[in-house]
Amino acid sequence: MFLHNLKYSLKTLFKNKMLIFWTYAFPLILGTFFYLAFSNIENSEKLDIIDIAIVDNEEFNNSIALKESFRNLSGENEQEQLFNIKYVDLAEAKTLLENDEIAGYLLVEDSPKVIVKTSGINETILKYVTEEIIQNEDVLTNIIEEKLNSTVIDGSIEEFIQNVREDAISMLDTSSLQIRDITSKKLSYTMIEFYTLIAMTALYGGIIGMTAINQNLANMSNNGKRIAVSPTNRIKIIFSSLLSSFIVQIIGLFILFMYTVFALKVDYGNNFPMIILLSLTGSLAGLSLGLAVGTIFKINENLKTGIIIAFTMLGSFLSGMMGITMKYIIDTNAPIVNKLNPVNMITDGFYSLYYYTTYNRFYFNIISLLIFSLIMIILSVLALRRQKYDSI
Amino acid sequence: MTVFKTFSQVLNKYKATVLMYTVMLVLFGGLNFKTSDNNVNFTASKPDVLIINEDENIGITKDFIDYLSEYTNIKDIENNEDSINDALFYRDVNYIIYIKPNFRESILSNSPNKDEQFKQLISSSDRTIVEIKTTGDYQASIADMLVNKYLHLADIYSNTFEDENEIINHIQKTLSLEVETELTSKVDTNTLSQVTFYYNFLSYSVLAGCVYVICLILSSFKNKEINKRTIISSMNYKSFNLKLLLSNCLFAIVLWLIYIILGFLLVGSIPTNYLIIYIINSFIFTICSVTIAFFISNLINNKNAINGIVNVVALGSSFLCGAFVPMEWLPDFVLKIAHVLPSYWYIKTNELLKGVEVFNSITLKPIITNMLVLIVFIIAFVVLTNIVTKLKLKK
Amino acid sequence: MKTILSVENLIKKYKNFKAVDDLSFDVKKGEILGLLGPNGSGKSTTINCILSLLKFESGKITIFGCEMRPDAYDIKKDIGVVFQEVAVFEELNVIDNIDYFCGLYIKDKEYRKKCIDDAIKLVGLEDFKKFYPKQLSGGLLRRLNIACGIAHKPKLVFLDEPTVAVDPQSRNNILDGIKKLRDNGATIIYTTHYMEEVEILCDRVIIIDKGKIIASGTGDELKELSKIEEKVTVEIDSLDEKILEEIKQFKNVDEATYNNGILFITYKKGKNNLSSLIDYLKKVDVHYDKIYSERPTLNDVFLYLTGKELRD
Repeated sequence: MFLHNLKYSLKTLFKNKMLIFWTYAFPLILGTFFYLAFSNIENSEKLDIIDIAIVDNEEFNNSIALKESFRNLSGENEQEQLFNIKYVDLAEAKTLLENDEIAGYLLVEDSPKVIVKTSGINETILKYVTEEIIQNEDVLTNIIEEKLNSTVIDGSIEEFIQNVREDAISMLDTSSLQIRDITSKKLSYTMIEFYTLIAMTALYGGIIGMTAINQNLANMSNNGKRIAVSPTNRIKIIFSSLLSSFIVQIIGLFILFMYTVFALKVDYGNNFPMIILLSLTGSLAGLSLGLAVGTIFKINENLKTGIIIAFTMLGSFLSGMMGITMKYIIDTNAPIVNKLNPVNMITDGFYSLYYYTTYNRFYFNIISLLIFSLIMIILSVLALRRQKYDSI
Repeated sequence: MTVFKTFSQVLNKYKATVLMYTVMLVLFGGLNFKTSDNNVNFTASKPDVLIINEDENIGITKDFIDYLSEYTNIKDIENNEDSINDALFYRDVNYIIYIKPNFRESILSNSPNKDEQFKQLISSSDRTIVEIKTTGDYQASIADMLVNKYLHLADIYSNTFEDENEIINHIQKTLSLEVETELTSKVDTNTLSQVTFYYNFLSYSVLAGCVYVICLILSSFKNKEINKRTIISSMNYKSFNLKLLLSNCLFAIVLWLIYIILGFLLVGSIPTNYLIIYIINSFIFTICSVTIAFFISNLINNKNAINGIVNVVALGSSFLCGAFVPMEWLPDFVLKIAHVLPSYWYIKTNELLKGVEVFNSITLKPIITNMLVLIVFIIAFVVLTNIVTKLKLKK
Repeated sequence: MKTILSVENLIKKYKNFKAVDDLSFDVKKGEILGLLGPNGSGKSTTINCILSLLKFESGKITIFGCEMRPDAYDIKKDIGVVFQEVAVFEELNVIDNIDYFCGLYIKDKEYRKKCIDDAIKLVGLEDFKKFYPKQLSGGLLRRLNIACGIAHKPKLVFLDEPTVAVDPQSRNNILDGIKKLRDNGATIIYTTHYMEEVEILCDRVIIIDKGKIIASGTGDELKELSKIEEKVTVEIDSLDEKILEEIKQFKNVDEATYNNGILFITYKKGKNNLSSLIDYLKKVDVHYDKIYSERPTLNDVFLYLTGKELRD
């Protein structure tokens, strides 16, 4: 009986076009959109080589420091090339700026001056770099002055100054004070989009469970009436239908995982067993949500689907699907909302697997999901205990 | 008139669904707008920085912190490792600076008169005085520059001078040397980019709203039995389609007006000439959305499929054309594909508008071209719809 | 004869509305019992109560001599139900649908296969085995609905209006099928508001209105209740008021009406009624187009008992 129902339940679920669209095709399509839209964001945020112009006048050519420094910063062989510089006259610099071909230009008259269109990042960098060159000059002057005052010079002054200067310049290049970058290598926040996608799919699985369970219940469907009058144990049938929905759900999730990992290069971290654990728990949460919606509400199936979709979309919105900032805002300002939001439990679980080295947060999410599932199941069992109905 | 009357009756029947959908889209639009400044305002030149000072807040350490406070936005994040890491991941801060306990001591130990033995001792120990975490983006690069600059100065001056105050004074004096910066543009790019973001998002709301509602309503008209009746009625199918289209337009214009008003409420005022073009552009796009919706509804027969199609069409257009993610951040091949979608031309105009300083024939030309392309789309969809209806009639 | 099903004092309320009001009846082995009543008279509710789908306020249901309960699987395995609404899976074809529901009763695959073949033959869906419900016409869909309910060869079959909105050909097919079921030894409870079906099919009829039994017996017994034995209809272009009055005075005439060119006469007893009417019409020189006589139907019985038409 169990297997008989399982077989046909699987068959009906797989042949339900709407169901397969929402739980299989839609996440794949959405994932592809995410990939197309977000694949370049993080690279675009990295500092590009900035196009600038320098007015090639006499004053500039006389200022050795500026000339040398900008030449170094724009050298194409330099590892840290910052600028791409056009040396032009003032009129052309103005035109270039007008046409947005450069971020700004440097004009040296009495003192150096940076002319930009707006106050953006590239403009800020141009300003800071120019300042740094001037400031470094100031440093050299100060040091030379100090050394001249405090040291007894034997030999030529020019030679002394030259030595001090060289020392200082080498010190500017290699500081004895160390900065250590301890950033985690995994900072790709667009991953969150894909995590919410997995979470959404897991909860959409509730639609599968709801559809399957609806076919079993006499007060929900005509097919359910037939089952109710047949000599079969209801609990057995329900378990069998739930199992088949779980299978359909897991296969869908598996396809999505394969697609995101191999085609979209999503990084879920390396802890394979934990990823499986989270996916299964997430799917269970989705299934139990579907079970609860299916058994508690006595409304038509489309409305039930609507409820699950609306619930899931709201959850996805709050956990960052439509803008990753949203998740952070909720997490920091109204943490309770996302602690109760199953979509976020799954998203956050993946996030903690990806970004965190400890498992506390991950287990917290797993336990939250289990509690959520348990509550949904208890509610469903209460509704399912009735065998006869007041009305059908 | 009959067509319109029926239209409004059907609309009335679905008013709950339509209302819910519209409210949801408006809500998403509004909320998204409110939370998105982080993404769009990449013009802010002060990076968001978090300082965790493990040293005492005195002397050069204090000066370092004061310096950072001047050039960056210092963020206040709950001091536990998880919150800090989350803040970095979600780009609440671009740069985290851990000032190690040996910060001040290490700098001062550079002093030229310290005996060599002591210097050796110090240099052999860990000289890491600052640890950083960085998001590696534009803003973080600026923070990186600022920190490096200060530490270089501190290094050099501490090698030269002995007295802490003297070192600090010199650092401050050097840092006070600034380069004069001149802004040539008088346009308030900040507001304009906000407006552009809002209007770009509007393309999603309008397209989704039109396709959903119009398909829903027309599916009632296209119901097999009713359709037979319209076919055998004396009304020409072209004139029938036209009347339906007009009714749909009326609905869409109401929807559009709601978003325009919402736009006023959210963004406030911008120069009239900009506003007019934003409004004209969004109006043309709204009409285009109606024709798209009309075309789609003529293709599908299944009411259940509407939801799926709305999502694929509206989300697809929006993601590929830069309604959610600014166009300049999209990969080139995506933008190439996007050329075949009306949303692209609509959003392109908004983006162009953001950068316009003076309205003249050169700056207006691409904008008008884009609008013409949209109008071509409108005509194409109307023609296609009529062809489809005609083909279906013969069946 | 053995009692297969007995219903004693069944009462079912929906809030304050009594849908079934103290209903009692028995069904004997091998008979086709017709439950007749207008829409909303409580037929389906009664069946759902019998099947333990609905809670009821009081009463006792005994099937095959045992009390019916939701988990009385021994009873359920010998019951077949065809519900009023079509209950099949859209996603499964004809064979799979029958196999699924039959499989809830019969585990043995070989036997089940034979049962399915028999069911398909019984309802005449041999040519549509691989069709999906969407591809079937209304009549064929009804037949599938029946096949799903009776494939496991039940001893007691409930058919709840299986012929609603069905074309004549399918209807005849369905009615033949039901007869065959009975011939194979099944006991059948058949609800409908189609009079003709009951008259051809049922051994015994129970008429229900507002949840109460208002009459029961064989078709002929019930017809006697109506005290009408013959109905005569005459199509006449115009009729004098006087003549109508005279006809009313005829022997055996219960009532005579003339409306829109139709003269309608009911007789309490029936011998030579028609010929004497023809003679009279000739005598008074009234021309008529058509004249015909009918036996009373259960509809007349219903009309007589409740004062309203059975079909609404």
